[in-house]
Amino acid sequence: MAKLRVIFENGDPERVIEFDPAAAPFHHDGRPGSILDILLGHKIHLEHACGGNCACTTCHVVVKQGLPKLSEAEEQEEDMLDKAPGLTPTSRLGCQAVIEDPDAEVTVMIPRFTINLVSESESE
Amino acid sequence: MPPEQTARPASRPSRTARIERIFDHAADTRSLFLAPIDSRALRFTPGQFISIVIPLAGETRNRAYSIASSPDRDREADGLSPDATFEICFNRVPGGRGVDWLFERVVGDTIDFTGPFGAFTLDTPPSVESIFLADATAIAPIRPMVHRAASSAHAPIVLIHAAYSADHLLYQAEFEDLAGRDSEFRFEKIIAPEGAIYDRLFAECERRWIRGDSNRARRIYICGVGKGVIRLRDLFRQNGYERRSVLYEQW
Ligand SMILES: Cc1cc2nc3c(=O)[nH]c(=O)nc-3n(C[C@H](O)[C@H](O)[C@H](O)COP(=O)(O)OP(=O)(O)OC[C@H]3O[C@@H](n4cnc5c(N)ncnc54)[C@H](O)[C@@H]3O)c2cc1C
Ligand code: FES
Repeated sequence: MAKLRVIFENGDPERVIEFDPAAAPFHHDGRPGSILDILLGHKIHLEHACGGNCACTTCHVVVKQGLPKLSEAEEQEEDMLDKAPGLTPTSRLGCQAVIEDPDAEVTVMIPRFTINLVSESESE
Repeated sequence: MPPEQTARPASRPSRTARIERIFDHAADTRSLFLAPIDSRALRFTPGQFISIVIPLAGETRNRAYSIASSPDRDREADGLSPDATFEICFNRVPGGRGVDWLFERVVGDTIDFTGPFGAFTLDTPPSVESIFLADATAIAPIRPMVHRAASSAHAPIVLIHAAYSADHLLYQAEFEDLAGRDSEFRFEKIIAPEGAIYDRLFAECERRWIRGDSNRARRIYICGVGKGVIRLRDLFRQNGYERRSVLYEQW
């Protein structure tokens, strides 16, 4: 079983999900087996304003452990991440980063704010 | 078993809008005119979208819909009065439960949404030639972008709108009118069988803006459904256009 540990920057208690990557999809948004798909399928909320279509960055996560276990970022994800505030060298879009390895142990942090929350308040 | 409780990081305030008017462009393509119930105009940059919270049996889905109307600033520039109402425009998708729910809404119903979101935007008219490429309903974000691009003295603008039938070329009269008034704006239409739309767009772009000259300083804006959008992006980026000059949104 693969393991996904989720830390919330806003201080919510962390969660650990054990899952079988071969059982993906777990939900219906984002790439099957993506961090978004896994979280939603296990009733853990991760924002996904564009429906998991790599068009918003609200699903931005910072990978704390297990980055090499994730599918490689494609150009479209890189283009979107370019615009994410709080971007770190281990940032990924939850709807795009897929965990395939059944022995993977991955830890992600869900940041408090995303680009769109910022742009929304700027727009007000 | 997944736990019952859903953990929530920073939660985003949602807003509610009432459907003021419905307009059918074609049998499968509709616009909703939405008025925020708090009467506060939605402030957005041309090209952005809202995320609609769609309640389906036992779950909710977030679906993105581009804002097809212009922000007040551009409306005023066009001599129109400010109006909190904004427009979204969508088409049926085979098996699309989210959009089916939208088609079931009637005037007076309310819709919950968050946003605006998205970085496929045009804020300031580009100082270089801009090319807009849209497939059918994907004209929605492009429409306010074109109006913003043409809102002051500007470099040439070309809009190519492609669809499989004439009634899926939305806002035609409006773009024709703009082209009649603005000699630096060209509006072109492509009607092609559904499976051939992106081949036609690709061939046209390659002929004119790749093989046609060596100018690589244009801004390119592409919006559409599926992998054809990525093919067009790659055509430009792999032939000398700067990555940041080629903006795209794939639905
Ligand atoms: C940033 C963004 C903006 C969007 N803006 C609009 C908009 O202004 N108008 C609009 O109609 N849709 C728009 N969409 C698509 C919309 O969010 C939904 O995906 C679409 O309505 C289908 O949702 P669904 O739940 O009914 O179907 P789903 O079961 O989620 O089906 C999705 C499938 O339909 C395809 N699809 C998505 N949109 C279309 C379309 N318009 N025509 C044909 N196939 C499509 C997708 O590629 C995918 O394969 C946008 C998507 C994104 C990411
Ligand atoms: S949900 Fe919008 S980019 Fe991932």
